Amino acid sequence: MPCYTTGEPIYALATPFSPSAIAVIRASGDNVLSMIAPYFTGKIASYPSSHAIHGFIHDGNGRNIDEVMLIKYEKGHGYTSEEAFEIMSHGSLPVIRAIENLLESIGIRRAERGEFTYRAFMHGRMDLTEAEAVEEIVRSKSERAGSEALSRLTGSIKREADDIKDRILNILASLEVQLDYGEDEIPEDWEFPYDEVDSIISRLEAIISTYSASRLYSEGAKVVIAGRTNAGKSSLYNALLKENRAIVSSEEGTTRDYIEADASILGIPVRLFDTAGLRETDGLIEKEGIRRTEELIKDADLVVYVIDPSSDDVPPADESILTVYSKRDIKLKDGSTSFSSMTGEGLDEVINKMAERLMEGRVVSSSVPSIDSERQRDNLSAVLSALRDAEASASSGYDIIALYLQSALESLGELTGMVTGEDVLERLFSSFCLGK
Amino acid sequence: MRDYDAIVIGGGHAGIEASLALSREGFETLLITQSLDAIGRMSCNPSIGGLAKGNLVREIDALGGEMGHLIDKTMIQMRILNRRRGPAVQAPRAQADKFSYSRLAKETLEKEHHLHLFMDTVVDFIVSGNVIAGVITERGWQISAKTVVLTTGTFMDGKIFIGEYDAPCGRLGESAAIGLGDSLRRLGFHTGRMKTGTPSRVRFSSLDLDEMEVQNGDDVMEAFSFDTDHIDRPSLPCYITYTNDETHRIIRENIHRSPLYGGKIIGKGPRYCPSIEDKVVRFPDRERHQIFVEPEGVGTEEMYLNGLSSSLPEEVQHRFIHSIPGLRHAEIMRPAYAVEYDYLDPMDLYPSLESKILPGLFVAGQTNGTSGYEEAAAQGLIAGMNAAQLLKGEKPVILSRTEAYIGVLIDDLVTKGTKEPYRMFTSRAEYRLSLRHDNADQRLTAIGYNAGLAPKDKMDRLSLKTESIRNVKEILHDSRMNGRNCYDLVRMPETDIHALDIEALASFPYSVLSEAELDIKYEGYLQRQEKEAEKAKRMENMEIPSDFDYDSVDGISSESREKLKTVRPLSIGQASRISGVRVTDIAVLSVAVRSRKRG
Repeated sequence: MPCYTTGEPIYALATPFSPSAIAVIRASGDNVLSMIAPYFTGKIASYPSSHAIHGFIHDGNGRNIDEVMLIKYEKGHGYTSEEAFEIMSHGSLPVIRAIENLLESIGIRRAERGEFTYRAFMHGRMDLTEAEAVEEIVRSKSERAGSEALSRLTGSIKREADDIKDRILNILASLEVQLDYGEDEIPEDWEFPYDEVDSIISRLEAIISTYSASRLYSEGAKVVIAGRTNAGKSSLYNALLKENRAIVSSEEGTTRDYIEADASILGIPVRLFDTAGLRETDGLIEKEGIRRTEELIKDADLVVYVIDPSSDDVPPADESILTVYSKRDIKLKDGSTSFSSMTGEGLDEVINKMAERLMEGRVVSSSVPSIDSERQRDNLSAVLSALRDAEASASSGYDIIALYLQSALESLGELTGMVTGEDVLERLFSSFCLGK
Repeated sequence: MRDYDAIVIGGGHAGIEASLALSREGFETLLITQSLDAIGRMSCNPSIGGLAKGNLVREIDALGGEMGHLIDKTMIQMRILNRRRGPAVQAPRAQADKFSYSRLAKETLEKEHHLHLFMDTVVDFIVSGNVIAGVITERGWQISAKTVVLTTGTFMDGKIFIGEYDAPCGRLGESAAIGLGDSLRRLGFHTGRMKTGTPSRVRFSSLDLDEMEVQNGDDVMEAFSFDTDHIDRPSLPCYITYTNDETHRIIRENIHRSPLYGGKIIGKGPRYCPSIEDKVVRFPDRERHQIFVEPEGVGTEEMYLNGLSSSLPEEVQHRFIHSIPGLRHAEIMRPAYAVEYDYLDPMDLYPSLESKILPGLFVAGQTNGTSGYEEAAAQGLIAGMNAAQLLKGEKPVILSRTEAYIGVLIDDLVTKGTKEPYRMFTSRAEYRLSLRHDNADQRLTAIGYNAGLAPKDKMDRLSLKTESIRNVKEILHDSRMNGRNCYDLVRMPETDIHALDIEALASFPYSVLSEAELDIKYEGYLQRQEKEAEKAKRMENMEIPSDFDYDSVDGISSESREKLKTVRPLSIGQASRISGVRVTDIAVLSVAVRSRKRG
C-alpha cells in the first residue's frame, strides 16, 4: 500500500522535467548513500557531509550515464534530516530518465507528492507554523488525488486494468483456497496456469509498450544521422533544422564529434544528432568521434543512414535503419528515398518516412489501450515482473507463488484500487463450494 | 469493597482462557456460567486446529494459554494439513474426544485456587461513574469486581431453528441468556444478529461402514503445546461419503421450509461454512458434496456429520441423510439446527479488547462476531491478560499483525468489524510466511512471560530450542557433502534435512531440524517480508492519543473523519487499515498528531 512513511528510500526530481542546463534529483532515506555509492565514481565515504563531490554516475555495467556533482548529506544534515543526497546532472531528458531508472532499480522509489516536506516535518525540521503549510501541501495533494483518481484511469484502460486484476484475482483465489482449506476438503492439486499467466503477461507488455509511443510526444525521440564521411549528413541535419548550425563543408571529416539540436518531425519532438562520418581513419580525434557515434546509435530511437548516390556505399543490412540518398539533384536513385539539400526536393518524403519509422511498433494498436504516465508504466512493470517471478517459482511451495501474485495485485491496486484480503475471500467463496 | 478482582461471564473456550489468565496471575476471579456441566463444551465439530486455526492454538499455548494442553490430552486423531502445499502454510488439526475435553477443562479450572466457579445467569451490569463495577444475576446476586470479561458465545438472546420449530436456546436443550442483550443496548452498545448452524449426530453402530472411505490420521501424533514432548493417545478413523442427486432433490423440494430461505432468520451466516441447503442452491452444478463422518469421542457412539449442517425440518433431514451411502440406515440421535444470537460490534472495542463504551469491561469470543473455538480462545486469552494488566495498572498487551495470527484476528475485528461470523484464514495474514505454527513460541513466549502469564520453564524450553536451532545451522554451515556446503544444500527445495547423512545432526529432535530447515529455505522470502513488516511497525509505533480530537484537523475528508471517530485507532498503522480512509488523510493525520504532541 502506498503510504507516507519515514526512512524508506525515496527520490524526486527537484527541477522541472524539461530540457535545461542542470537537473537536480534528490534522494532521502535509510542507507541511500551506500545504495548509490557503487554507481558513482566519486568516493562518497571520504567526504564530509554537505560536500559536493564530482564524478560519473554509471549503470554498474561500465556504462556512464552522466558526469555529475553529488552532494552528500549525513543523517541530521539535509532538508529531511534523513541520510540524503542530491545529484546535479545535465538537464537532458534521457539523462534524467536514466538516473531515475537507476535509482528505481537499486530500490529507491519515487516520492509521493509532498513526501520530502512531510519527512522534514516528521523529523522535527520545522516548527508549528511551517507544519500548517505542510498540512496544506499534503491536503492539496489529497484534493488533486481525488480528481487524479478519476482522470487517471478511465475508459478502455480502466476496463483493461480491471480485467487484468480480475484474472489475477481468479488465479490467486484458486491458489488461496488450497492454503485456506485442507487437502481432504480440496483434494485436487493446483497447477500453475501457464497459459493464463502468459496471456496476461503479453497483454501487459502490449500496454506498457504504448507508453513509449506517448513518450515520443512528451519527451521526444533520439534521432541519429549516420553515414560515411561526406555523404551529406550535415546537409540533411541542417535542412531538417532549417538553420545553419553545423559547418557544412565538402572536406571529409569536418564534423568530428557530434552536434545535437531539438527539432520537430511532423509534431514529434526529436533530439537530432549529426555524427562523425563512419570511416576507417588513423586520426585519433576522429577515432574517438566514431566511437561516440557508435554509442549514440545504440541508444537511438531512429538512425537515418545517408548515402551519396555516386559512391559505392550500400544500405546497411539492419532494416530498422532508414536509408536515404543525398544529392538528388546530381543523381536520382530510383525507387528510394532521396533528397537534395540544394533544391530541397524530396525532403518532405524523408520527413514522412522518419515520422513513419518513429511511430512504427509504438503505434497504439486499437486492441490495446495506451497509458501516458510514468507512474502507470512503473506500476504495470511491477505487475509484470511479479507475474514473471510467480512463473519462475512455479515449482516452489504454493505459499511462495501466492506471495508473488499478491504483490502483482498490490502494484495493480495502485491503478485500480486496492485488492484486500477480503476481496480474495469473497472471490474464493463465490467460486468454490467450501465448508465441511 | 469488591467481592472479586475480576468476573468472567461464560465458561466456553474464551471464558476458560480469560479466567485462567486472570487467576494464574494471582487475581481473585469468579467465573459465572449458566451450566457448570458445559465448561469447554464443543458445540459443533469435534475438532481443534486446522489451517490458520492450528496456528492460533499454538500461539495461545506460546503465550501461556490452556487450549494446547487440553487438546494434547484428549485428541483421538491428529493430522498435519497441507504438508505438500507449502511449509509455511501447513497446520495441525486434531479430532477431540469432546466429553473428555470438556471434563478436563472443568478440572483444570478447579485446580486454580484463585479461580472460583459459580452457576447463575448474568442479566445486567453494575456501573459506577461510567466504569464497570460488577454484575447482577438472574437469581438476584449483585457481585462487584473491578473488571469483567464478557464471553457469552451464542447464548445472548440465542434462538435455535429446526424447520418450522424454534426455541430460545444457545445450544439445543440449553436455555438462552435473556436480558443481557437489552441491558447492553441500554448502555449504548451496538448489537447485531448472527447465525450459525450445526449438523445432525448419528449412531456409529447404525452406519454402513463398508460404503464409506476410511480417513486415518497421521501415524505420529504431533503436539499442539510446546510443553508436550510426546503424545500417546488412541487414533480413531473418520469416514468420508458423498451426497447425490437424490439428496439434492429432497433438499430442493423442501427448501421453502428452511427458516433461512423463509426469512425467519435475519442474522448473517458464515459463507465459508454454508449449510447443505446453501451449497445445493448456490452450486446447482455440483454433482455431489463431500461429507465427513467424525467420532465425537471414545466412550460414545455419536458421530458428527461434517458438511451436512442444516435448518430444514427434522423429517426432511432424516430423508436426505438416508439418501447418502453409508448413512442409509443411520439412527439420528440429535437433529441439525441453526442458531441465531446477539453479537456486539467489535469496533466498539480497543485492540486490548476493552470496551470503549464501558471501561473495565472486556469482550471476547463469539460475542464479538467470530466463529470457532480457536478464535474464541485466542480472544479470551488476550482479554484475560489485558484485564490483568488493567488490574496491575500496566499497558495492555497488543499483538501486531506482523507477529501473530492473534494480532491479525483482533486488529481485523476492532478496525474493520465483521458482517459474518469471522473465521481465521491464512489469507487474512499479510506476513503468513513468518507466522508459522512451529515458531509461535519464538514469536510470543517472551511476551507471555513478560506479562506474567507464561511460566519460567516455558522460557527455558524456548531458549533450549532456540539454541538447538542455532547449533543445527552452524553444523550445516560447517559441513560439506558432494563438494557442496550443506547449508546451501538445504536451501534447495528438493533437499530434505531429515534425509541428510550428517552424524552431528542425529541427536537433534525432529521438530528442531524441521524448523531450522524452514528458516533456511525461506530465508530470502522472510527477509523480503521482514522489510515490509519493518515499514508496518514504524506506522504502528506512531501512537494516536485515545482522546485525539479529529474535528480539530482541517485537512481530513469528512468521510474519513467519521470513520476515524468511530474506530478511534490507537496508532497511525491501525488508522491506515480502516476501510475507505485515504492515504493522504493518514498523512495529514500523522502530521497533525505529531504537531499536537509538540505544541
